[in-house]
Amino acid sequence: MSSNGIQHQLILDGEEVNFSAGETLYEIAERHRKEIPTLCYDPRLEPFGACRLCVVELEGARNPVASCTTKATAGMVVKTQSEPVEKYRKTLLEMVVSENREVEVDPLRGYASQELGKLTDRYQARTGRFKGAQSGQLHATDDNPFIFRDYDLCISCNRCVRVCAEQEGDHAIAAMGRGFHKQITTEFNGLLKDSSCTFCGQCVQTCPTGALADKKALRAAELPEPLQKTRSVCPYCGVGCSVDLLSKGEKLVGIHPAMDGPANEGALCVKGQFAFDFVQHTDRLSMPMVRGDDGELHETDWDTALDRAADGFAKTLKKHGRHSIYGIASGRTPSEANYTMQQFIRRGYGTHYIDNCSRA
Amino acid sequence: MNSPTDEDLVANWRDEPAPLLPLLHAFHDRDGYLSEESIAVVSAGLKIPIAELFATITFYHHFAREAPGQSAPRVCTGPICALHGADALLASLDGATPMPCAGRCDGPIPVIKGQQVLIGTNAEELAPTASPLPVANPDGYEECVFADIRAEGRSTLAGYRQSGGYTALQQALTQSPPELIALITDSQLAGRGGAGFPTGQKWQAVANASGEPKSVVCNADEGEPGCFKDRAVLEHDPHAVLEGMLLAAFATGSTRGFIYLRYEYPETCALLETAIAEARTANLIGDNILGSDFSCELYIRRGAGAYICGEEGSLLNSLEGKHPYPRNRPPFPVTHGFEDLPTAVNNVETLVSVPQIVRRGAEWYRSLGLDGRVGTKVISLSGDVQRPGNYEVPFGLPLKTLLYQWAGGPAAGRQIQAVTMAGLSGGFLAGEDLDAPLDEPSIRERGSMLGAGGIMVFDDSRNIVDVARQAMAFFAEESCGKCFPCRIGTQRLEERLSGGGPTDLATWQTEITDIGSAMKATSACGLGMAAPFITDSLLKYFPEQVAQHVQS
Repeated sequence: MSSNGIQHQLILDGEEVNFSAGETLYEIAERHRKEIPTLCYDPRLEPFGACRLCVVELEGARNPVASCTTKATAGMVVKTQSEPVEKYRKTLLEMVVSENREVEVDPLRGYASQELGKLTDRYQARTGRFKGAQSGQLHATDDNPFIFRDYDLCISCNRCVRVCAEQEGDHAIAAMGRGFHKQITTEFNGLLKDSSCTFCGQCVQTCPTGALADKKALRAAELPEPLQKTRSVCPYCGVGCSVDLLSKGEKLVGIHPAMDGPANEGALCVKGQFAFDFVQHTDRLSMPMVRGDDGELHETDWDTALDRAADGFAKTLKKHGRHSIYGIASGRTPSEANYTMQQFIRRGYGTHYIDNCSRA
Repeated sequence: MNSPTDEDLVANWRDEPAPLLPLLHAFHDRDGYLSEESIAVVSAGLKIPIAELFATITFYHHFAREAPGQSAPRVCTGPICALHGADALLASLDGATPMPCAGRCDGPIPVIKGQQVLIGTNAEELAPTASPLPVANPDGYEECVFADIRAEGRSTLAGYRQSGGYTALQQALTQSPPELIALITDSQLAGRGGAGFPTGQKWQAVANASGEPKSVVCNADEGEPGCFKDRAVLEHDPHAVLEGMLLAAFATGSTRGFIYLRYEYPETCALLETAIAEARTANLIGDNILGSDFSCELYIRRGAGAYICGEEGSLLNSLEGKHPYPRNRPPFPVTHGFEDLPTAVNNVETLVSVPQIVRRGAEWYRSLGLDGRVGTKVISLSGDVQRPGNYEVPFGLPLKTLLYQWAGGPAAGRQIQAVTMAGLSGGFLAGEDLDAPLDEPSIRERGSMLGAGGIMVFDDSRNIVDVARQAMAFFAEESCGKCFPCRIGTQRLEERLSGGGPTDLATWQTEITDIGSAMKATSACGLGMAAPFITDSLLKYFPEQVAQHVQS
């Protein structure tokens, strides 16, 4: 419903349907559960109109129109499926398949990485027709630890470029050259680490072919257990981004941003996306520890540990005064714990020496 | 004189309209190439993210990114120059690189070095050579575009005025913009860049649209192979283009106009700059033109080598400093053009017709066509004919008359095998279809188009499959890479015309027609829609040559 609430009508596959000013044919069709194929479409981004798979027949138009970029107007008569349109879609998919090394990829590569494979199955487009040169070229020298730039699988949909600019605001990547030789690149065709990339991973997660892939998740590609997803909240800052934890057996293998996460709508930062190794790291403390008379740390119970800490604070306060106490809260703690921490320092010890590492 | 500093260059252009291209050219001209440091300075100066700026620079043919860059020769290897030994010339020049058709098909071969175009078919011959003046047609048909182009001194302000120049502007300024639009509408003048949209209707839409400032853009990015008409007009009659733009601006309520000129015409750029300076001094450009309330500034913006920038959406993106992909339509430029404001984008030929129509009347213009057709079209004719050149034909003139009577036909002992239409975009016409009258509906009926009016002639000594291959290689090279059908389709068609793909004829043909159908129906702009005309017409007229190609 638009802000002024006025509804218009058009005919969609023979049925009269309502729409609001500004809606595209694709949005209306999706609302009516029409399964229009797309590859360059990401609902979070400005429609681009590159893949042309979403073309629909529009009465009075000489050619089919791209439904993603065509705004609805009252009285339009639209057909989302027809024999010619389905044939164009299949031909286009056969053409896309012909430009890539492979279509079937490990789902660990990224959230959207199965899109091309699924569409080629649906349209039975792996026919081997239109054989010829491959378009993209693997960026073999980019040894950053997070993002695999496997452009052999790139189909030039520009979703990575657009999500980087429109969602993340980094403008770190762009498409260089023209035509079949177009390549996704950074400034001066260099490495991601030398660009303005923040390694948020959104380009990885919107890539419909796995050409941009999660290097850390792919470490688990050979594990035999089935891939499972568990909805959770990112444990870092207080924004509360929703994530799907990817696991195989008992092992956490990767993170997907939740596209329906109310705080993040598919976005994450480098920490939420890639910095999960601490969870199952061998150095991680899983029990409280206190230093013994031998100078070494020993496992103990919480009561003993807390008593030791309280005793240490009390002695320091007595000996050096209230400004000898300084509290710093972890950036991973939620707001409630941060609040408790500052109360503890301010009210408990009467000092304002309280900070949080997120501020740095 | 010291060469300007980075800061000077940025300061010169930062606050000008459409600053990116001229600023990049300023660095390119100063250093001969665009260094990473220069790109970083431009990025900071114009606040364009550096990755995007870098990628946009790579889109253009002529921005070099290392020495010797601009001073290294670039040799035209377009379809006509290829017939005249372009490959050998390319091989004979040190450090030379090829470039697509540079618009000298009426006198090949152009080589660009720095700011100069040299002409010659071998290294010894190369010398600066003026564009040939179009010859009057032998049948004495009245002209519009070329009506006064042969007048003495026409390219100077004084000469232009002596042959009636700027009287149309004076006349229009005594009337109202709606009266001018009504006159142009009544004349039935239509877009001569190829699209054929009624000019009066376009101007009316811009005049009606809300948002200011409005703009007029003269599309002088003549990149279609085999087209060189705009160059002839711009060089020999520059003030007619300016007067046409001023009339368009007056009609539409625009206060600024841009000439988007292709890179390959550096001397034309200098001529236009002189013409604009002359006109400004004479109060024909600027504030309160000729004492009226009408004010308008005109600017030249030089392209950097990209065929797709002749497509109006790409052109506008290029002007704005964006990546030059075509725009999704609607909205159209008449409401959302330059900087998303109302803009009239008109071809050079369309604009120069306007002053003549204002002076001589709508009825006069309508009467120029044959058999009830309206107006004229400039045809750039080149290839295997005895007198190549620009000919202004009345719509409806038989193609054969142009080829044989006007241009002298092929060399003695040769037959015309085929012609390409709309430069390359209309594919081939051959056989009986060479009898077609020259007007858009008649050519369309035969599965081709007239388009911008380039016609290249290939006689029976030419390998027609190889001509098709070169044509498709051009489209593949110039595809912007945005939409899938064109990006992949032009590549696959080129491969199949180069000996790749299936070796079974039926399978080969099915692949060609399936790719072509998808391209025609689903491409995002005219390039991808038109490229399959080449393969369609090749299959239609030359099935035996195709069979031989596939099976050998």
